[in-house]
Amino acid sequence: MTTTINDPITLEIIQNSLQATADEMFAAMRKTAMSSIIYEVLDMGTGITDAGGRLASSGAGIPAFIGVLDKATKVIVKKFDKPGDIEPGDVFATNDPYYGGVTHLNDIIVAMPVFAGGRIIAWTANIAHNSDVGGMAPGSLTGEATEIFQEGLRLPAIKIISKGEPISSVMDIIKVNSRMPDVLEGDVWAAIASVRIGARRLVDLAEKYGIGTFESAVSSFMDFGEEVSLKALADLPKGTFELSEEQDDGRIFNVKITISDTEFLVDLRSNPDQSNSPVNTSRDGVIVAAQMIFKSLTDAYSPANEGSFRPIRLLTRPGSVFEVKEPAPIGFYYEIELRVYDLMWRCLAKHMPDRLAAGHFASVCGTFIGGIHPDTGRQYTIIEPQLGGWGANRGRDGNSAIFCGFHGETYNCPAEINEARNGLMVDRMELNVEPGGEGKFTGGRGIVMDYRIRGDNGFLTAGYTRSKFPPWALDGGREGSPNYLQVIRKDGSSENYSFVSGLTMNTDDVIRVVTGNGGGIGDPKQRDRAAIEEDIRNGLITRERAAEVYGPT
Amino acid sequence: MAEKTIRVATDVGGTFTDLVSFETDHGSGQSRILTAKSDTTPPEFERGVLNVLEKAGVDLKAVDFLVHGTTVVINALTERKGARVGLIATEGFRDTLEIARGNRPDFFNLHYEKPKPFVPRYLRRELAGRMSYKGEELKPLDLSGLPAILDDFRADGVEAVAICFLHSYANISHERATLEQVQQLWPEVAVVASHQITREWREYERTNTTVLSAYVQPTAERYLSRLHQGLKAQGFTKSPYIMQSNCGVDSLESVSRIPITMVESGPASGFWGAAELGKLIGEPNIIALDIGGTTAKCSLIENGEVKIKTDYWIERDRTSAGYPIMVPVVDLVEIGNGGGSIAWVDDFAKLHVGPQSAGAVPGPAAYGRGGNQATTTDANLWLGRINKDYFCGGEIVADMKAAETAIAAVGTRLDTDPDGAARGIIRIANNNMVNALKLVSLNRGHDPREFTLVAFGGGGGMHAVALAHELGVTKVVVPAAAAVFSAWGMMMSDLRRDYFVTRLADLKPGAGAGIEHVFAETEEHARAQFAAEEIGAEKVRFLRYCKFRYQNQEHTTEVLIEGGEIADGRLADIAAAFHQTYEHEYTYRLDAPVEMVGIHLVASAEVGKLTMSKRAASGAVAAIALKGRREVDFALEGVRMADIYDGALLEPGMRLVGPAIIEESGATTVVHPGNRVEIDGYQNIHIHLTA
Repeated sequence: MTTTINDPITLEIIQNSLQATADEMFAAMRKTAMSSIIYEVLDMGTGITDAGGRLASSGAGIPAFIGVLDKATKVIVKKFDKPGDIEPGDVFATNDPYYGGVTHLNDIIVAMPVFAGGRIIAWTANIAHNSDVGGMAPGSLTGEATEIFQEGLRLPAIKIISKGEPISSVMDIIKVNSRMPDVLEGDVWAAIASVRIGARRLVDLAEKYGIGTFESAVSSFMDFGEEVSLKALADLPKGTFELSEEQDDGRIFNVKITISDTEFLVDLRSNPDQSNSPVNTSRDGVIVAAQMIFKSLTDAYSPANEGSFRPIRLLTRPGSVFEVKEPAPIGFYYEIELRVYDLMWRCLAKHMPDRLAAGHFASVCGTFIGGIHPDTGRQYTIIEPQLGGWGANRGRDGNSAIFCGFHGETYNCPAEINEARNGLMVDRMELNVEPGGEGKFTGGRGIVMDYRIRGDNGFLTAGYTRSKFPPWALDGGREGSPNYLQVIRKDGSSENYSFVSGLTMNTDDVIRVVTGNGGGIGDPKQRDRAAIEEDIRNGLITRERAAEVYGPT
Repeated sequence: MAEKTIRVATDVGGTFTDLVSFETDHGSGQSRILTAKSDTTPPEFERGVLNVLEKAGVDLKAVDFLVHGTTVVINALTERKGARVGLIATEGFRDTLEIARGNRPDFFNLHYEKPKPFVPRYLRRELAGRMSYKGEELKPLDLSGLPAILDDFRADGVEAVAICFLHSYANISHERATLEQVQQLWPEVAVVASHQITREWREYERTNTTVLSAYVQPTAERYLSRLHQGLKAQGFTKSPYIMQSNCGVDSLESVSRIPITMVESGPASGFWGAAELGKLIGEPNIIALDIGGTTAKCSLIENGEVKIKTDYWIERDRTSAGYPIMVPVVDLVEIGNGGGSIAWVDDFAKLHVGPQSAGAVPGPAAYGRGGNQATTTDANLWLGRINKDYFCGGEIVADMKAAETAIAAVGTRLDTDPDGAARGIIRIANNNMVNALKLVSLNRGHDPREFTLVAFGGGGGMHAVALAHELGVTKVVVPAAAAVFSAWGMMMSDLRRDYFVTRLADLKPGAGAGIEHVFAETEEHARAQFAAEEIGAEKVRFLRYCKFRYQNQEHTTEVLIEGGEIADGRLADIAAAFHQTYEHEYTYRLDAPVEMVGIHLVASAEVGKLTMSKRAASGAVAAIALKGRREVDFALEGVRMADIYDGALLEPGMRLVGPAIIEESGATTVVHPGNRVEIDGYQNIHIHLTA
């Protein structure tokens, strides 16, 4: 069957098929992974790029990963630039932000060239958080690291499969460097299966419609993405917007955003020098944060591609917290990326009230708990982000208990599975009823979750931000409540934390996770009386505090 | 033995209540098929059923087997017309229902709205008492607070109580004790505990399932009991069977207790029909496709078996997390693409079809009822695929002017003429359906080229060949009476129950006896349930499936275990079967320990299903069914002069070739150029693609 090249319906069908392929890659990875952070939390993403590494179609997964795969692929394409460097059946990997990895060493990106008609027509790629890639601490993340070398094995954009055959010496090195070698191996293979399935579909697609048609569909899709973004940009208020905000650790972050008809310019040059602690991010990581907020403001629905992001221009300063230089550690990059994401959001919110809600708990609240499973004797490691409260919307209370803006189709771990898999007890998981987030419309609720440890010599590592400065409010609403951890020892004593590394946990110690309530919008005195009564009835606020905040009913 | 057997299926749909009756004459072996339709009558749906029985002239005294399908459960859920529910949960977990899983599928949308729980916080209460994941009691159940909770529930107008405790899949005793106490303290209230519905882990999914079951229970119970009384009053002496979401039927008594199992019964009957049809015509591997007015649904049948799973959600899509219902439901993919799906052009001149639908009112533009948006049906009419002079079996005069105006409007936005627009609509609609078909086949490791496409519903035959071509499928079967195929499927169903039980075990020596034990225990439970309905153990057929994974994985792969008792000596073979199934689906296997996570037991018994008899070829040629010729636009193959056949006149053994159109009162089959068609002994249309 022959069709006219470039007929719009054929191009549309190819574009839909790219999306379906990225989704299929995601499903395959999810079902075969061995780390709960991949298969349950879905801390992963899939995508397809063109031959040059430009993002052609993003799959499902967490939004923070959508702009990562293209950057990694571009580095691979650049590094393997001689004839014969890249052959059919090859698979590449990188995890190092100084070599296209964008995030931190736990996230391994796997990419596969797709060959048709004797040349590369596309790449399939995915990224996923691996439970342990070596380094100085279990789970590879620690606030103690002062250099990237302490954060795990570095894979600087390397080939792991050659012409379909695994390079066993490389695979052996990867495996032996992990404290959980079988899990790492299983997860890497799940990633390989996913890019292979994607590559197979793309070859079918190119053969069916012709390579020229395929390539023209991909580039027209990118132009379309740009067209959508520019059209939406035209509707945004124009001007320069600025914000300075103090962080929990005392640093002041500054942003200046200039919006014109053709450009979304983010200036982050005026910011602190990079830190010797792992609270830095690569420039690529900041680009991802800008891409996310830009996508939400312009077109939240169509799949993202290279073209969608063309109007973004980012200015950063080398050697600063937002453009870190080797060999600084970057383990908690995601909290920094989130801070700059929230900073941009807050900076624009008061100028675009219909597009942006009040502040949310805005921290991954990454919690790492490990030890020996008392029933199986095997090592367990919990690596999980937490649910929290979102800010009030204009016209509606915020959502309770969902993942932060960096996570999307991410699932929490059921208590029943947690207790079986990790050998600890979940004594409760409830909504956080601490005060905060009141307003005409209230912020959503965070959660309170108690983990009771069943064995000695376990550990706790965590990094929560928005612990000192709670989620911000708008238009006279009240601020939300902070994110924090409370460790309640068996003897009844307790300590509070936001950043903690390798704290020893023993039998019957309780780790209480408390995540923040989102910020409110509008004067609380204007809240609907019936809504206040409902809050009281549902035990979300006491009658006394309601009278104090909302006025007499 | 009676001279004839009468089987009746009734199906309550959104607009109409359908009836199909098969009267089988034991002398000739032939069946007389009768169909009737009357209006659906909300909220007293049972009245519509009794009306259609009367309209069809069915003598209920003579009916041997009556099976009933209803959307009463799904309607109560989607229209939020259920009971006020109170939930009793484990101490510390009353918010599980609201916290849910925290996912945000619509992730760039900063105004995402999380689905609201079906029970508000003040009606979610807790009792102390705790089990471990192994089912050991860690803290005894404290029922002292229960009377006060029930007093509050009464005062707050609660009509149904749901009970769900942590780890009840491993030990039901706390739930059972609470259930009994509620029944004693408040005998009038509807009450259900999670273990009565499912024995699988994941507390949010189980809690939500229990809550939704309680939510629909009073409505469904009332409906089923009125239906039963109405049938009895008309002289029906047997017990009716009710269609379930797992492709089986169940007794009315059993369904009344756990009505939530009816939630997806509509599509299930069609897919079961496809599986049974496959057995009849020797096609064990089938992709079944049901194209209706607003959606298209598809499911894969391998070796004659439908796939039943418990990860089912309502109201879940790219913009909402939806609500999980953990009951056995046929594995299906549904998309918003049917005959009534609306074609629209976005701000960037891109054409889309669906998911919005014109519904029955106003319907497609060609209905002439004021619809001014082009639908897939309008495009099919415009291209000559549907006969404008025989629209909806001649019941509606096609308003071609309205269709043209609507399609031309789409064309203007796309800078093309109405022909180009109509072809575009068909191609986009087909592409949407192809992607859905890939989800049930390629996405799950199956090569569609090894399957036969069975297409039914009003639009099945219209699109099937084009879809098959895209997927490389070489054979399409459009069943006889495709429009009432679901009702036929109901009559072919067995009494079937699917039991899912979570039970962890490492697949290594010593595990065999434990695995055998959980199967044996579940089989005993199943036999007891069947016995209570006077079905003897000898009639019950079991299929044993195990759910396995590599150690540390989460998601499981289901493997059929044949050959009786499981013992240590068989574990190596069982593990080998898992490795093979896994590799087939995911392209690789691992040298890692294998874990069992649970079992899936299928228990079924035949309860008087229809036996079909085959007719011999009549020897007549297809030409006698030829009613004319007209120009038809096949989209990719262009405009061709096609033979038009009257489907009602086609007989076994007849052959014809495309380009052709086969017209029946409720369905049109499009035969593309080069296709070869033959009619089998059951009047099914077999289309062979030449590709």
